[in-house]
Amino acid sequence: MEGRLANSWRLTVNDKNFIKTALLSEIRIDGRKPFEYRKISIKFGREDGSSEVQLGQTRVMGMVTAQLVQPYRDRPKEGILSIFTEFSPMADPSFEPGRPGELAVELGRIIDRGLRESRAVDTESLCILASKFVWAIRIDLHILDNGGNLVDAANIAALAALLTFRRPECSLGGEDGQEVIVHPPEIREPLPLTVHHLPIAISFGFFSNESILVIDPTHNEEAVMGGRMTTTVNANGDICAIQKSGGEGVPQRVIMQCLQLATSKAASITKQIKDAVEVVNTERALRKVKRHPTSTGVDVREKQN
Amino acid sequence: MEVDREDGRSQNQLRPLACSRNILHRAHGSASWSQGDTKVLAAVYGPKAGTKKNENPEKACIEVIWKPKTGQIGKPEKEYEMILERTLESICILTVNPNTTTSIIVQVVNDDGALLPSAINAACMALVDAGIPMKHLAVAICCCLAKSGYVILDPTKLEEQKMKAFAYLVFPNSVRSVLPEGSLRVEGEPIENGIITSVTHGIMSVADYFYCLERGRAASVKLSDFLRRNLQQQSTDSSKAG
Repeated sequence: MEGRLANSWRLTVNDKNFIKTALLSEIRIDGRKPFEYRKISIKFGREDGSSEVQLGQTRVMGMVTAQLVQPYRDRPKEGILSIFTEFSPMADPSFEPGRPGELAVELGRIIDRGLRESRAVDTESLCILASKFVWAIRIDLHILDNGGNLVDAANIAALAALLTFRRPECSLGGEDGQEVIVHPPEIREPLPLTVHHLPIAISFGFFSNESILVIDPTHNEEAVMGGRMTTTVNANGDICAIQKSGGEGVPQRVIMQCLQLATSKAASITKQIKDAVEVVNTERALRKVKRHPTSTGVDVREKQN
Repeated sequence: MEVDREDGRSQNQLRPLACSRNILHRAHGSASWSQGDTKVLAAVYGPKAGTKKNENPEKACIEVIWKPKTGQIGKPEKEYEMILERTLESICILTVNPNTTTSIIVQVVNDDGALLPSAINAACMALVDAGIPMKHLAVAICCCLAKSGYVILDPTKLEEQKMKAFAYLVFPNSVRSVLPEGSLRVEGEPIENGIITSVTHGIMSVADYFYCLERGRAASVKLSDFLRRNLQQQSTDSSKAG
């Protein structure tokens, strides 16, 4: 299935001109204003650490799992955080299965930089036994539907999954205190991860005529735009990362404008994520109260006897 | 004999089924299928031009990509892809669009037992959503055999691991037609008695296997009814835009 030119999706010249002309009058083809975000809906799965985010037509699923491994030699007291992005062929006919392409790697790196280097996730609390056992947190992001602006949606999915993930509690034991005993969730409650702040990625698209700027580009706008920039900011106003790789040059004042916009958007998105996580946590707590030790509590419907 | 299952179901009771179609915007056809906690998402792109190498260009070709929830793609995933491919090849009418490829992508959202049957059901619904011509639908069910000899349907993951053997069975859906009954029979038996696919794990005796088939066939009638109701309901909704 390599190089199937007949199957690649292309915008016609008419479509492209229409999008550009409409932007001159500050109209976007889906009816939004230039600085308006699409509707974000955050849903969670049955398991701890699985989230599904829908940003307009873009849909991303995030899954967090943890494993006990040996730490890196130069960082014996820190846990490991790794992000895997899967551009599933489900999302777009041009995504090929197999090794991740450039876009997938770039997306993974942007999210990774936002989480790891800003120390959003506390890796030192993941250390159980220095130089021997630490938790390796693995975040899998599956892109299910490409409606544009995958970075932002994937970032929200990763954050939502991290906030609802629970890792098993473990204690040291054995004769010399060097053995790690992992307690199953039925015996001891699993613990949440320590997340200090939420770095939110906000993407902008630049268009060639008169440096027009839009936030949260859709798939069609991405095919027309001259350059893109992703800024990762948190609700406190800190800039965690900025990514602008190539594309059109933009004046400084436009960059400053973007950063200010991003900070205000980040506050509202952070609130939305926290509210959604709060709802799930209360639901989970209520479910645990009803749970009997002998049943798995899977089919709540059938319990009404 | 009454059997105690952990979630309170009886031997022949299936988990609650839920199915929705047309959930993705870029894919030509998509469906999400859940049986209890097992949830699978399937998307279809097709028909696309050209076939894979070494495939017959006079027929349409089906390609399946299986995406696990987490981790690398290994041998079990390749096996699932092959089983799905062969099953779907036998239900699609391959002569309608020769020299084309239809891709089906299956994403596992949650695995709580009976994963392959859920995937087959989801893929079938996604094919219907995409409008790919098919002879009939495929209805898949999982039957487990316990050490004491009783058969349970639609196991959860814990039950699957405790059982002596289990079988994934795929039947054609039950037919409701205006044609006279005799014309729908193949060699004297109704079409829905045929088996499209059967995959077994573990040891079971021949008599046990036939017992599983019988139970599976009965359950597939219920599943066919569910599919029919679901499809009829959604066909009155607005049509897809390209």
